[in-house]
Amino acid sequence: MTASSALGSRAVRRAPQRGPRWSLLRRRGAPYLFIAPFLAIFALFSVYPLIFTLRLSFTNWHGAGTAEWVGWGNYTYLLTNPGFWSSLGNSAVLWLLIVPVQVVIGLLAAVLLNSARIRMRGFYRTAFIVPFVTPLVAIAQIWVVVFDQNYGPVNDVLGFFGIPDIGWLTTSEWAKPTLALLFLWKTTGFAIIILLSGLQSIDSSLYEAASLDGATRTRQLVSITVPLVRRTLMFLVVLQTLAVFQMFAEPYVVTKGGPYSSTTTAGLFLYNHITRADLGTGAANSFLLVIIVLVLSLFFVRMLRTKD
Amino acid sequence: MHQHPPARSEAKPNAPRPFRRHLRFGAFGLAALVAIGLTACGPAIGSGEAADPSKLQLPAEPKGEITIWDRSGDLYGVFDAAIAKFNEKYPDITVHHEAVDIGAKLQNTLITGTDVPDGVFLDDQLVPGFADHLWDLSDVLKPYLGDIAQQKVDVNSLDGGIYGVPWDLDPGLLFYNATALKAAGIDAESIKTYDDLLQAARDYKAFKPDAGPIHLEQSPFLGQLQLEMYASQLGTSITDAHGKLRLDSPKYQQILTFLDTVQKEGLGTRAEYLGPTDIATLDSAQQVFVPWAQWFGFAPQQLLPETTGDWRAMPLPAWSDGGPRSGAMGGSSFIIPKDAKNPGLAWLFYEFLAFDPAGYAAVYGPNDIYPNGLNTSIPSYGPAADPAKPLFGTVDALGGQDLWKVAVDAGAQIPGGVPTPTWWGGAVDYLGNNIQKMLDGTMTPEEVISVSTKDIQTNLVDRQ
Repeated sequence: MTASSALGSRAVRRAPQRGPRWSLLRRRGAPYLFIAPFLAIFALFSVYPLIFTLRLSFTNWHGAGTAEWVGWGNYTYLLTNPGFWSSLGNSAVLWLLIVPVQVVIGLLAAVLLNSARIRMRGFYRTAFIVPFVTPLVAIAQIWVVVFDQNYGPVNDVLGFFGIPDIGWLTTSEWAKPTLALLFLWKTTGFAIIILLSGLQSIDSSLYEAASLDGATRTRQLVSITVPLVRRTLMFLVVLQTLAVFQMFAEPYVVTKGGPYSSTTTAGLFLYNHITRADLGTGAANSFLLVIIVLVLSLFFVRMLRTKD
Repeated sequence: MHQHPPARSEAKPNAPRPFRRHLRFGAFGLAALVAIGLTACGPAIGSGEAADPSKLQLPAEPKGEITIWDRSGDLYGVFDAAIAKFNEKYPDITVHHEAVDIGAKLQNTLITGTDVPDGVFLDDQLVPGFADHLWDLSDVLKPYLGDIAQQKVDVNSLDGGIYGVPWDLDPGLLFYNATALKAAGIDAESIKTYDDLLQAARDYKAFKPDAGPIHLEQSPFLGQLQLEMYASQLGTSITDAHGKLRLDSPKYQQILTFLDTVQKEGLGTRAEYLGPTDIATLDSAQQVFVPWAQWFGFAPQQLLPETTGDWRAMPLPAWSDGGPRSGAMGGSSFIIPKDAKNPGLAWLFYEFLAFDPAGYAAVYGPNDIYPNGLNTSIPSYGPAADPAKPLFGTVDALGGQDLWKVAVDAGAQIPGGVPTPTWWGGAVDYLGNNIQKMLDGTMTPEEVISVSTKDIQTNLVDRQ
C-alpha cells in the first residue's frame, strides 16, 4: 500500500464521522471567521456607540449618577426649539452659499488644470490643495484679521473705492457669507482634485471628434464634460452636503456661532449641548441630524439614479 | 452577445444559500448581541443611587506617582518649574505633568473613567458642573478655610461640599491710560464711582472727539463674564445659592443701564477683547478705560507697543459711594477626581502650591517664564496675598506701578459669591447675545432682563 493510498483511506474513514455538514461549515465558515475581527471592532466602535446614543437620547443625563428616562421629551424639546430650527436654517443657507458655487468653480478650475495647454500644472495643483492641508486654526486667525471691520485689509480696499466698512464677522447679514468664503477657500482645492480624477477618465477622442464636428469649447464642456463627470459631481455634492451639515470647526474658531447665533450650524448647536453636559438632548440632536443628513444623501443618490 | 454576470449559484456551486444566510445572520446577530451587551454598560436608568460623596482624607504615606493636567501655555511652564520645589519637600512623589486641552478632554475622561488624572487645573465656573465626579475636599481644606477669599470658597462649594482647591483670585480693576488722561486734564484717581467714570469719559470725549473711552465687550461670552464681574461687585450673580435665577433685580438693572448709557452717549469702543480693533484703539488712546480682570495687565506688557508704560490700574469704581471697589472675573482652582489613582498625593501637591510659602512663591515669584513674577492674578490664600510682601515685582508696562498692592487691596473687597450654575456657558446664547443686542440699540436693559430670564429658565434651568 502506498503512502497516499494510506492517507486516502484515513480520510475516507474520517469523513463519515464528521459528516458533510461539518465540512461545509469549515469551508463556508472560514470567510466569516476572517471578518470576525472587523465585526468585533465594528460592533465595539460603531454599533455600540450608536445604540448607546439612541438609549441616551431618551434620558436626561449629565454625565454622572442616574439617567432619568424622559421618553420622547428630548426630541419634542428640540423639535419645538427655535434654536434647533435656526441652526438647521443656518446650515441650509451655508449649503446654498457653498455647494453650488464650489461645484461651478471646482469644475471650471479642474477643466483648466486638465488642459494640456496650461503651463505649470503641477504648481497650480499644489497651490490649490495648500489651503486644504493648512490647519484651520491658522486660517481662522487670518480670517479674523483680514475681515476685521475697522482695521482689516478687505475693508481698507473697499474703502479705497468709497464703500463703507462692512461688519464681515460682526453682523448677522455678513457673517454667514464670510464663513462660507472661508469654507470655500479651504475646501475647493479638494473638490478640484476629486473632479480632476473624473475628468481624466474621459476619453480624449471624444473631444477630438467634437472639435472636428465644429463644437466650441463651451459646447464641449456642456455636452461632453458635464455629462461624463456627472457621477463625480454628485459624489462631490453628497460629500460636501455631509460636510456642511456637520460643519463645526469653522464657526467654532471664527465666530463661536455668533453674532446672535447666525453662524450656529447644526453641528455647533449639537456641540453646545454636549459642553453643557446635557448629554440626553445632545444624543437626540445627533439622531435628528443623522436622519436629516441621511434623507438629503438619499435624495441626491436618487437624483443620480434618475438621471442614469 | 449579452454577457450575464455569473449567478451566485454558478460562482459557488457548493454553497447552499439558506445555510450561508444563516451564517451571515449569525455573525451579525453576534455583533448586535455584543453591542447590546456593551450598551448595558451605559448609565443606569432611573434606579441607581447617587455616588457616595465621601470626603478626601490625607494619604498615609507621601509616596507614589501622580498625573497632573494643566492648560498648555505659559502657566504650564510656571507650574512645571514649581514641581522641582515640590519634590524638595516630597522627594518620593513623582509628578507626571501633562499639558492638555482640558475643556475638550476632561468631561469625557470623567464620564468614562479612563486614564483619569489625579489633579486638574480648572476654571472656577466649571467646578460645580463636575462635582459628582470629584472628591469633596472640605476635610483637608478645613485648616485653611478661614484664610481663603470667601468668594473663592463659595464658587467651589456645592451642597455643603467643597470640590476645588481655591487657587487664584482675579479681581476686577480699572485699567486706564494715565498719559492720555493727563493730556486731557483728567485726574483718574478722582474716579470713585461709575458716575464719575461716565463723567471722565464725557470729558475725554470732549477732548478727543473720535474716542470711545470705555471698553464695551463685543464677545457675547466675555461680555457675560464682565457682566458677572460687575454683579459680583454688587454681591449678586446670575443665580442664588439654590440655583434660582435672580437676573430680574435692581442690581442687574443698574449694571445694564450703565452699559446702555455708555453705548447711547457714544462713550464706548465696542470690540472683542484684544482683537484687532481693540488693540488698535487701545494703542491709539481712543480707548482709555478698561474695567476688566487683573489679567488685562498682560496687554500693556505684550500687545500695546505704542502705549506700554502709559497704563495704570486702580480698583473699579463703586456702584454707590463707599461700595466695594472690585468684583471677581474668572479664576481657577484645582480639582481631584474621584477616579484618581492617588488623590491624597494630588492633594499634597496642591496643598504645597496653594498654601505653602515655598509653593506659591515658586508660582508667583520670579521664574524662567516670568522673570519679574506672574502678575496676571493674585493668590486667593490670605497669607500669600499680603500687601506688604509682594510675590511679583513692579510692572514697567504700568509705569513701574506696584500692581501687587492694587490687586491685593481690590481682591480684599470682593464680596462673597455662590457656585456658578453648570449651564452658565449655555446662557451666553441668551444673556450674552441679548447684551450685544442692547449694545446694538435693539433691546433695552429691561428687555435684556425679561427675555434672558425667560429663555434661560426654559432652556437651561428647567432642563437640569
